[in-house]
Amino acid sequence: MSDPTRLRLTLNGHPLDVVCPPERILLDLLREDLNLTGTKRGCDLGTCGCCTVLVDRRPVLSCLTLALLAGGREVTTIEGVTPASGLSPLQKAFVDLGATQCGFCTPGFIMTAGALLRENPHPSRGEIASAVAGNLCRCTGYSKILDAIEAASRVA
Amino acid sequence: MDAASPDQKFRLLGGRIPYVEGPLKVSGRAEYTDDIKRSGMLVGRLLRSPHAHARIRSVDVEAARRLPGVFAVLTGEKYPTQFGVLPITHDETAIAVDRVRYIGDIVAAVAARDELTAERALAAIRIEYEVLPEYNDPRMGVQKVEFPIHSRGLNGTNIQKEVVQHFGDVDAALGTASHFVRVRGRFSGVTHAFTEPLVTIAESTPDGRLTVWSATQVPHYLHRSLSEVLGLPMHRIRVIKPEVGGGFGGKSDPLPHEIACAALALETGRPVKMLFDREDVFLTNHGRHPTENDVRIATDAEGRILAYDIEALIDGGAWSSFGTVTTYYNGVLSMGPYRVPNFRYRGRRVYTNKPPSGAMRAHGGTNIRYSVETALDELSEQLNVDPFALRELNALPPNSTTINQFRITSTSFVKCLHAARQRSGWDAKHRKLPYGHGIGLGCSFYISGSNSPIHFTPKMPQCTVHLKVDMDGGIAVHCMQADIGQGSNTLMAAIVAEVLGVDLERMHVVRVDSDISPIDLGSYSSRVTFMMGNATRKAAESLRDQLVHAAALLTGYPPERLEVGHERISVRHRPDVGVSYLEALHKAMERSGALLATGSYTSPPMGGEFKGARAGTAPAYSFGAYVAEVIVDVETGEYRVPKVWAAFDCGRALNRLAVEGQIEGSIHMGLGQVMGESMNYRGSRLLNPSLLEYKIPMPQQMPEVECLLVGDPDPEGPFGAKEAGEGPLIAILPAVGNALYDAIGVRFTELPITPDRVVRGMEQRAAAGRTWKGA
Amino acid sequence: MHLDPFELHRPESVDETLELARRYAGSFDYLAGGTDLLPNYKMHLNLRPHLIALEDVGELRGHSLDRIGAMTRLADLERDPEFLRSYPAIAEAVREVATPLVRASGTLGGNLFLETRCFFFNQSYFWRQSLGFCMKADGDQCHVVPQKEKCYATFSGDLAPALMVLDAEAEIRGPGGARRVPIGELYDGAGDGIRRTRLAPGELLVAVHLPASARRRRSTYRKLRVRPSFDFPELGVAAAGRWEGDRLEELSLAAGGLETYPRRFDALTSPLLGAPLTDTKIEEVASKLRGLVRPVHNTFLAPDYRKKMAGVFTRRALAGIRPGATA
Repeated sequence: MSDPTRLRLTLNGHPLDVVCPPERILLDLLREDLNLTGTKRGCDLGTCGCCTVLVDRRPVLSCLTLALLAGGREVTTIEGVTPASGLSPLQKAFVDLGATQCGFCTPGFIMTAGALLRENPHPSRGEIASAVAGNLCRCTGYSKILDAIEAASRVA
Repeated sequence: MDAASPDQKFRLLGGRIPYVEGPLKVSGRAEYTDDIKRSGMLVGRLLRSPHAHARIRSVDVEAARRLPGVFAVLTGEKYPTQFGVLPITHDETAIAVDRVRYIGDIVAAVAARDELTAERALAAIRIEYEVLPEYNDPRMGVQKVEFPIHSRGLNGTNIQKEVVQHFGDVDAALGTASHFVRVRGRFSGVTHAFTEPLVTIAESTPDGRLTVWSATQVPHYLHRSLSEVLGLPMHRIRVIKPEVGGGFGGKSDPLPHEIACAALALETGRPVKMLFDREDVFLTNHGRHPTENDVRIATDAEGRILAYDIEALIDGGAWSSFGTVTTYYNGVLSMGPYRVPNFRYRGRRVYTNKPPSGAMRAHGGTNIRYSVETALDELSEQLNVDPFALRELNALPPNSTTINQFRITSTSFVKCLHAARQRSGWDAKHRKLPYGHGIGLGCSFYISGSNSPIHFTPKMPQCTVHLKVDMDGGIAVHCMQADIGQGSNTLMAAIVAEVLGVDLERMHVVRVDSDISPIDLGSYSSRVTFMMGNATRKAAESLRDQLVHAAALLTGYPPERLEVGHERISVRHRPDVGVSYLEALHKAMERSGALLATGSYTSPPMGGEFKGARAGTAPAYSFGAYVAEVIVDVETGEYRVPKVWAAFDCGRALNRLAVEGQIEGSIHMGLGQVMGESMNYRGSRLLNPSLLEYKIPMPQQMPEVECLLVGDPDPEGPFGAKEAGEGPLIAILPAVGNALYDAIGVRFTELPITPDRVVRGMEQRAAAGRTWKGA
Repeated sequence: MHLDPFELHRPESVDETLELARRYAGSFDYLAGGTDLLPNYKMHLNLRPHLIALEDVGELRGHSLDRIGAMTRLADLERDPEFLRSYPAIAEAVREVATPLVRASGTLGGNLFLETRCFFFNQSYFWRQSLGFCMKADGDQCHVVPQKEKCYATFSGDLAPALMVLDAEAEIRGPGGARRVPIGELYDGAGDGIRRTRLAPGELLVAVHLPASARRRRSTYRKLRVRPSFDFPELGVAAAGRWEGDRLEELSLAAGGLETYPRRFDALTSPLLGAPLTDTKIEEVASKLRGLVRPVHNTFLAPDYRKKMAGVFTRRALAGIRPGATA
């Protein structure tokens, strides 16, 4: 039997092969072990969405995911959706339209919104609001976040 | 050109300027405190009191100290110096010394190699408590108590601060009044709930220095408190403010954990990180005070306000924090935007055995405003005068002085009223919408920067800005102002770029670092745009003068004939004759190298001569008039706010994108306090210390917001600007409350207005035999 | 916040799972999504030394119109338009569970066996210790209804009432073999917030089956909560019915979020069959249901209000499924 604590997955397009205790949470693996600090820790209990990452292209709460259970899957973080130079159209829309203030929730929103636009390239404003309803923002009142996602959907 | 001229043209200011650090934030590359790692870093954790009020009989930390992997265990007696954000009310310690005052009070701090070891150490600490009676309701503390929570309580009570003020003659005015209304408001505590939890890293190094990175809005006050409590001179402490994930006042006190973390660093000689979980953040609180107020307003037959007679009972929680200011503000911020000729106020802030209350966005001006605006709505009903007309009749004129000696310079309040009334279609809607559907007006008044610095010594400006430019042409901007997401870095960069005519990308706003940043007092009292903006402008103008002087040498034209254009300085009306920015720069630095410039701001003297006269004085004030529409499910009491028209006077809006963001975000936060946010207690125990049970509104609950920025430029504000960070929160609360009245005929004087309260209100109205809009 | 160490098991078949369940009887939890369990573990609520992750058990996955595997993600149901059209009550319930991020990981089985909730239970170890703990974790008394006999924690799943009114059945495997029971019988009305299920030790929910009749019913789920996402139900009412002309042939009604278990109200609905469902009858049922439910003060909104709203929501649910009703 293979070592049950060996974790192999694809992280931002690259293979990762590490040893990981069962109780390790994906968020901790990313932030503490791999130093991928773009994914934020807002509440650690699934109640804010700051830690959103993609697992097999679907946004999930990395604070409520056992790292080992991401084995064999594709994990994508904010670092993985940011181009080597410049910004993605979605990220650019967030900047230009004032959708980021303190910025702490922003990577989570980018991950959720990016997944939404891939699945539904031209969502209505209501669909956008429902899709991001697991990401908490305390600064913007959401209006400009919804604006930015809408704008990005027109660019795509 | 006169800065206050409404016609002044700008290249950047007044437009929509995306945040300069935006690209870092959207890519996860902005560095927050928890993103920082130091080699050999330890985990710091705190032991909290399980009792609301108790004496610490004994503490035994030996077993904890002996655990492998534990580097330090600290208790209160090592650093007993009391501190607090206000120098007049130092009553906090980093770690409780002999008494705990709320469930969550810090009793010990541990540094260990990892989280698990730190937790084991906490569990191994033995504390013997003698439980004391708990005082969880401010009413319990207004008379003498057996065990006052603090010895500084007024005459053996738990009253932390009492303010009694009387201007004019309220009793005489009441005698002549023809109309009179009374509103007794009750407000749950609410909290900031910023998304980035509190976190601090501290490191002491063998050169005798201590470096502290912290999620703070007030790096300078933190710097002072660290020095006072730890007994280190300020120059041996370096405070760094990385990116901060929101504050709203919740990071505007020097906080005990910041000092405890630094103490652990001193103790261990290693870097220590103390990261809070959500419960820690809720227990640290410093949010808006649970409050009861009693507002009486009298008018003459036409509706002219004759007198305010106000009382407020404010639940302070365990410590003073900003409480003395809170106690004043609940009175003095109740008057503007109206002319109030007679005013009486008695405010008491009482210590309770609950998490401390403090400053939260629109501090001291929110709860009292709700009651006042509710009373005015009721008065307009009594008088049969339109709510807009009643407010316009009473509006403070520009360049006037209030009864308590506030200096009012610019006010575009009447313009706000006109804009909100017209854009909302008010006249066709008020009292005319069907049952369950309503529209309401609420107004606001707030300080644009507290005139009084919190610390009085030494005498120094409220803000200083340094600029440095070397041969590369990039401009480093140094200032301790704390950008916590409101966009002040961007504004600072834009002001410099505007004055110098250069591209924004030349600006490097340097991270706040007490080693290099000149002092600004911090992000509180909505002071940054006004004070930092003026200081930045002066620094930029000084740098511009150096460049223009060099350009004069190069062109042979005198400086007064030159003007700054885009990346260029040229002769006025002769754009072809001139030099580039870099040419001017290189000429200017020929003799002594890199250019330096400094600018500062000190607010002018103001305020009366009586005790407490400075509370609420500010170099300018913001004004607002909001209209909200609500639709109520008259069976379930659930309601939504589909639309808000937000007319706001922030003087000239220098960055419309940021101002709109502040207004929309404020409306969201204010709606939270109306619709469901509430710190719920059973006795002294906070029942909902989580983002699941503390009900921050979701995107589907957000109204469409129409921002109406109608302010005229302020004569003293930077380029005519005033604050837009806190004032925009205030008006939404009464606007919704008054809209609910219009919808269902029920006056809500208790916040939050949850659906169960709406249903009860409708039932009580029906039981009283009152019908409303035919229902 | 970290998790205390545990041993993780990853069976790949139901048989293997049952064997692990037998071996670690009394000292394991199933991990079926983790959005409910892991927050509780982070708060040190009733930790067990073994976690059996059901991720890799193929027999628990996948769904069709007739069968939903216990490990089906709520997000997968949400993305199946035919399924949603076929069962409006389930569609409405699924979409209202927590948040899209929770639904991406959360599963059908996880929602059906959601831990019951209470202000005095869903708290950190520090918080609970400072109160002296409660009978549901580490203590022996109830702080909602002060006594030591019964736990009043509230059942807060959204899917159970919706499945109950559609006569869905649970497929259970255990040491004694396989059995199928109506969803309502998974829950023990005589139990309490701790001992609330009727699963025998070692038994496992494999799937939920929907009868063909369910697709012929008009159905709805109505949820009361403070915010349109995140929040658990302050109450949830599901109703389903079938008409021939205006004559009611089948009707069922269930409610959750009010008591320690979700409840079906056949005694209220069966007398209505064979006749039109008039406003008066709806009002009668709503008022009776309201009289039957006993919420306590361990959720955000006051219990008297929730009780009152149980009536309103019942009336709206019933009116909403009548032929010709628009919403």
